[in-house]
Amino acid sequence: MSILTDDVQTNLTSQGALLEGIRVELNRALRGKADVVEKVIACLLARGHLLLEDLPGLGKTTLAKAIAFAVGGNFSRVQCTPDLLPGDITGFSVFNQKTREFEFLSGPVFSDVLLADEINRTTPRTQSALLEAMAERQVTVDNIKHTLTPMFFVIATQNPVEHHGTYPLPEAQLDRFAMKLAVGYPEKSDELGLLAAAIGHVDDPPSQKSVLVKGQLAGLQERVSKVLVQPNVQEYLVDLGRATRVHPKVTLGLSPRGLLIWQRVAQAWAFLKDRPFVTPDDIQDVAIPVLSVRLGLAPDAASNIINQLLETVPVPV
Amino acid sequence: MVPEISSLVRRSTFALIALASVGVDVAAGDGRAVGQSICFAAIWIVVAAVVAQFVPIPSDPRSKPPLWLFLLLFGLALAPFGVEPLRRNWTGDGYPLEIQMVCSLRNVGLGLAICAGWLLCLRLACVTSLFLILFSASMTNHPAVMVVLGMYTATGSIWLMITYWSGLRLVFVAPEKAVTVELHDAGERAPWLGLSFLIFFLGLALALVLVGPRRASYALGEWMPTSGGTGATDMFARYGVGDGPEETAGDNAKAAGMVETDKMIEDNKNSLIDAVNDLYGPPHKPNKDMERMVAAGKLDVIQFHGKLPDNKRPSRDFDTGRKGPKGNPKPKSQGARGVFEVQGRTPLHIRLVAYEIYEPVEKRWLEACKPVSKLIEAQGGDWMKLGFFKPNDWYLADERHQLKVAELKSNLVPTPSLLTHFRINKVDKSDYYEWDYEGVLALAGRKRTPPGIIVTTDCRTVDPLRLPKSAFGTVGATNGSSPKLGDIPLIIHPEIQKLARDWAGEHPRGWLQIDAIQRKLLSEYVLDLNATAPPEHPAPVMWFLTESRRGPDYLFASAFALMLRALDYPTRICMGYYASPDAYDPETAHTPVKVTDLHFWPEVLLLDGHWMVLEPTPGYVVLGPTLPLFERILDAFVFLIAWLYSHIVKFILLFGLLFTGWIYRRDLFDSLAFLIWTWFPGKTWREQVRGAVTVLERRGRLSGKARKCRQTFICWLRESLLKSSGPDADIYQITLMAQWAAYGQEAPPPWSQSEVLNVCHRVLGSWTLKRWRNAPSDFPNGDKS
Repeated sequence: MSILTDDVQTNLTSQGALLEGIRVELNRALRGKADVVEKVIACLLARGHLLLEDLPGLGKTTLAKAIAFAVGGNFSRVQCTPDLLPGDITGFSVFNQKTREFEFLSGPVFSDVLLADEINRTTPRTQSALLEAMAERQVTVDNIKHTLTPMFFVIATQNPVEHHGTYPLPEAQLDRFAMKLAVGYPEKSDELGLLAAAIGHVDDPPSQKSVLVKGQLAGLQERVSKVLVQPNVQEYLVDLGRATRVHPKVTLGLSPRGLLIWQRVAQAWAFLKDRPFVTPDDIQDVAIPVLSVRLGLAPDAASNIINQLLETVPVPV
Repeated sequence: MVPEISSLVRRSTFALIALASVGVDVAAGDGRAVGQSICFAAIWIVVAAVVAQFVPIPSDPRSKPPLWLFLLLFGLALAPFGVEPLRRNWTGDGYPLEIQMVCSLRNVGLGLAICAGWLLCLRLACVTSLFLILFSASMTNHPAVMVVLGMYTATGSIWLMITYWSGLRLVFVAPEKAVTVELHDAGERAPWLGLSFLIFFLGLALALVLVGPRRASYALGEWMPTSGGTGATDMFARYGVGDGPEETAGDNAKAAGMVETDKMIEDNKNSLIDAVNDLYGPPHKPNKDMERMVAAGKLDVIQFHGKLPDNKRPSRDFDTGRKGPKGNPKPKSQGARGVFEVQGRTPLHIRLVAYEIYEPVEKRWLEACKPVSKLIEAQGGDWMKLGFFKPNDWYLADERHQLKVAELKSNLVPTPSLLTHFRINKVDKSDYYEWDYEGVLALAGRKRTPPGIIVTTDCRTVDPLRLPKSAFGTVGATNGSSPKLGDIPLIIHPEIQKLARDWAGEHPRGWLQIDAIQRKLLSEYVLDLNATAPPEHPAPVMWFLTESRRGPDYLFASAFALMLRALDYPTRICMGYYASPDAYDPETAHTPVKVTDLHFWPEVLLLDGHWMVLEPTPGYVVLGPTLPLFERILDAFVFLIAWLYSHIVKFILLFGLLFTGWIYRRDLFDSLAFLIWTWFPGKTWREQVRGAVTVLERRGRLSGKARKCRQTFICWLRESLLKSSGPDADIYQITLMAQWAAYGQEAPPPWSQSEVLNVCHRVLGSWTLKRWRNAPSDFPNGDKS
């Protein structure tokens, strides 16, 4: 038996079908990673941005493309290199000889899904070009503000192994991501399935179809924002945030923006579970991807420390 | 690091405050039986222990205690002050202010111990218990409080060990698993509280070094509020420091009563000490009623022209350095509570008259003759020494007493038996004393011992078991004994002798033989003050021994003395005062002896010429030597075993009940909680679900499968119950309900109220405590990581 009331149930039937469609498409693109896909969808619904940190060839770009196709938006990709300039991302003004005026040529940031591949290979100056876009969904070029699409979603990837010639993302940049996820190697059966599916296909990856039409994602995101968070759960969230700030091994405590993002992701997580309210379990379920991107933790210790924090703060009952 | 508060630390803290509560109740109960006080304390402790079961334990001990806790403690602190007027009104009994305050503190301490899950409460509970136990120890020197103090010390040691090991465990724990939340902002502020404590304790240590512990303790006593009383305005008020009867030694004498002052207040009464005052002028004509007095110098006497009040009751003595209240008030009159008061260990036999010859015709004892001479030597400092004591193995260390005369009608100087030294202030010559009978001291040349005289005595104690056979002489052969000490009327001689030999059995001559007869009298004869022999009976003693087997104390004494004479022991009987330990007054730390405490007892003459007190009367005992600690513990243990044996049925029943209760305590608590939920499930469906889930959670905790700090009820229930029971619609349902109740919106739920109650009932009924316990050993405990 569902705990949802009838009218809510009816409303959710259609959106449940949409979400299921997205799940299917993403799982088809990224085999055997249902849990990663679920969190990616939560990030998308929470209007957050995603940082994928993993080794090359594990399907990060594939996943980003699949998201772009699934949500029916434009997809842009930027391969970040040391010589990449901010204008290469945001766009720049050129002088039109005919009109004798400067015209703005938009960059790849003017898309619905932007894949910034190997973001830590570009210089901090170029990385910072994304700050305004990610936080405020707008860019300012030559003192002129250019608004991005409402469903603007950044998927950045970075390679944790190669350190030569890389520029670690600054904390301000990291704080603008909602989550950091690692894709990880697939299971053996999934790899076999992957190989089998590639037989007879010239293109890589196989063709995708769009699940959402324009505006449907915004509708889903609006519904997510209305998922109930009771005061006791919010207090729990705040207590967790404050605990991060006094933990001796945490170099950078959770910011208020981080708290807001965590709440939104927890709302999305509850939404994905067909629940109209957030529970402490939702907060705990998304704690590691949300906190690991912004607490300045060593990658191998992040999970332990976040679990310690969760053990420390009592859940509201 | 946050120190982990283990259940052992919490329990040992609770034990500390429980012991302190017992100490306070025993110390506070003036005149109340110790057992009753312990019962009162036990009630509070049991209530606190029950409440503690329902108080949550925070996951973070350093977290700030909730507001309700402060309100609860405030209420507990105020409760005694609210109850006291009602108590005084309804029962006529009451506590003085300081006891109310300590009761209030005891309540707070118990409340803090209940909430010892919070570190702050735990620490405060420990400090409170320490204060309470020190207060109770300073308030009275009742043996029960000393026992409690000992237990508190032992428990405190255990507490220290447990907390130490808890701390070490944190040091050795793996860094990843250690709970490491710590506030660092404390270092930015000066530790004013710590500095204050440091200054306080340094001051205390300095005071102890400079003025000594006694005066320092008095100074600390000044911090305690008192009821300020003398009983004049508040019948429940007691004397406290800063008021009282103004009995002080020193130059500024205000004592009109029982205190050894350096200065004397001159009055016109027939006192023991008088000034040689030139103002009388020669020739000095004493009035005809004037008795012999000790001459004191002019400097020892203070002229006082007012009327001095009577003060024939001892009280606490104060240090000479103590400042009295302003205004120099006159001391209060206090009537005598008895003939004299004893300060020191009791029981004590104070001889008044000694009888040596039994007159068969008149059936009564005749008084002994006055002793020829017994040497009393003056020592320094007004002390007198009895020079005829020979060192013997069977005598143990001297015991000191102070006997304070209140209203004696004779010139008796009250002294215990086996006296070695004695002293009366300012009486520095031995010829002020005389012997009325052997061992009965009196003031020479006086008809009456004046009130207020304090007799300080040192007397030997004797352990009868150490007395060798040679310690008991035979009649006529013992040093100083006359043949009359073995006289038995002819009419009863054969019967007495036969009876004595029968009772003595095969025991050899000596203490074992005497003890065999004494035990017989103690165990088979009954003290009955109203029993009298028929007037026509030729020998009341035989009537007592063979017919009635009950009688007053003089018949016990006579029978025992005559039976010992039949076995050739020189004996006599004495009449005197018996200072009973039951009459001890903890407030004044004295034992009043009244006229009604007159008592008869027999004495046997030892070979070295001393009379040893015997006690064949049930309910009376002889003062024994101060035993070493081990022997006292052994005696107490033997007494306890004997007491338990005499109440074996009650004991087994009580023990069985307590043991069963202890074994099934968790089931009892659970049943109680379930009953409470059944009777009062709550008004709304949310309250009903929360109540049911709380019962379930308690069951999990009682069976060792507690919910973890990071687990929600829902997660815990699903992971524990569903995994161990398999698919269960009710469990699934109650998890949904609990989830909605805790975090869902206020909209009407998709369940009816009756459905909620039914589901909760079914889950609580099927998931009993027993089923929780029998759950698989790899029962998941909710580790989500």
